[in-house]
Amino acid sequence: MQLDPSFIWTAFWQLLGAIPTTLSITAVSVLAGFVIGAATAMLRMYRVPVLAQIASAYVTFIRGTPMLTHLLIIYFGLPMIIDGLAEHFGWSFRSVSIPMIGFAYISFSITAGAYMSEVVRAGILAVDRGQVEAAQSVGMTTFQSLRRIVFPQALAAALPNLANSVIGMLHGSTLAFAVSVVDINAKAQIVASTNWKFFEAYLAAALIFWGLTVLIERVAALIEKRVGAYNRGGVV
Amino acid sequence: MGAPFDIGYVFSFLPKLLDTLGVTLLIVAGSLLTGIVAGFLVALPRMYKIPVLRTLSGVYLSFFRGTPILIQLFLFYYGLPEILKLVGLDLTRAPVMFFVILTYGLHTGAYAAEMIRASVEAVDRGQVEAAYAAGMTPYQAFSRIILPQALGIAVPVFSNLVIALLKDTSLAFTLGVMEMTGKAQTLGTLTQHFIETYIALAFIYLIISFTLEKMLLAAERRLTRHENREDKRESIFRLKKRGSYRTVLADINIGKGGGA
Repeated sequence: MQLDPSFIWTAFWQLLGAIPTTLSITAVSVLAGFVIGAATAMLRMYRVPVLAQIASAYVTFIRGTPMLTHLLIIYFGLPMIIDGLAEHFGWSFRSVSIPMIGFAYISFSITAGAYMSEVVRAGILAVDRGQVEAAQSVGMTTFQSLRRIVFPQALAAALPNLANSVIGMLHGSTLAFAVSVVDINAKAQIVASTNWKFFEAYLAAALIFWGLTVLIERVAALIEKRVGAYNRGGVV
Repeated sequence: MGAPFDIGYVFSFLPKLLDTLGVTLLIVAGSLLTGIVAGFLVALPRMYKIPVLRTLSGVYLSFFRGTPILIQLFLFYYGLPEILKLVGLDLTRAPVMFFVILTYGLHTGAYAAEMIRASVEAVDRGQVEAAYAAGMTPYQAFSRIILPQALGIAVPVFSNLVIALLKDTSLAFTLGVMEMTGKAQTLGTLTQHFIETYIALAFIYLIISFTLEKMLLAAERRLTRHENREDKRESIFRLKKRGSYRTVLADINIGKGGGA
């Protein structure tokens, strides 16, 4: 087996086609995860009875177990539940009609939700308590003070962690191969084994992921500058 | 898909999976050792601002933090023997475990390097100056003044690192290592009780990460007892009081923001 540098380029072009799949998994899991995370964080911060405990258990469980197990449990467990319910209530819907990528979307959103919950919580805790008190003393409702005062500042504080989470989910999306979704990693596997050039194919995949990660980091740094503008020092 | 759910299987699978716990822990321990050594080697040029080496460690950090561990595993497994063949070293007979520990070690090294750098930088500059003023050598200042304080700051990040590593080892089965996840897949295929095996698997991971977290939390309490002697409140309040710690932890906490 001889190293073939030109094949890296060939593989690179073939892998480009799989980028949308990887990005869509990342985007869906980050967006859905943020919503789940924000809700979970709120439940825990306002200590809503029962729900807060459930939220804590959810975060602990997800953060304590590998992402792969979440995917596999959803992949094998969800059809069982759906088919059971469908039979019981006589729905015509069956789990077979869920596309493979759907399992990746659902499971990765659940994973991202737990990590996002910590990101949101840390961001909100970073906002000075006096800000909320000031907002309420000028007559804002709880919702108004959250939306106008707390969230914009929390977002700025949470941005570095948020970017980390996005990168984490981008890298985590490589696990989708386990449910036969053809993302960049799975495509690299296919390209590698059909041409018997493993090193070159994975090198190309690594380069793509590296590029995407650096891109996300750069964009996050730009947004951070913009969102954190209120927080700069100086007189002007 | 598979046989109907039977909770009994979860319990019967637990001891079978625990048989391979040793392999998982071996990967974790081996990679942690490799990772801490690699982390120091990478962090030093950045802390002491050594010209060329600093750029190299920057590239190392960017690469290992910028690509998924799964890709790195395949890359090293297939690539390393080929590259070393060019310099006349034959690795084709090396055990898979070697590649697995090396890859996880180098991957962890990137996060360890950032942890080391950030914790050392979080120690007040005046402390070092005071040490020098008292006549300590640079080595003495590091080992007696910086290290004990940096350790306390590093522990929460280290805890995240270890747990992330533990969870990442679930990918070693892709190279054919029979650790817990690999074993779970075999059990699932044999008995067709997939969901039960994975529930048992998740449960074991949960217990291990919970134990590790508690142990490291105890270590953190022990190492930071010089701070806030009278103030026994939780760390989050301490962060609010000390502005500098807060920004430091915002930079380094979590580290890995996802499952893999």
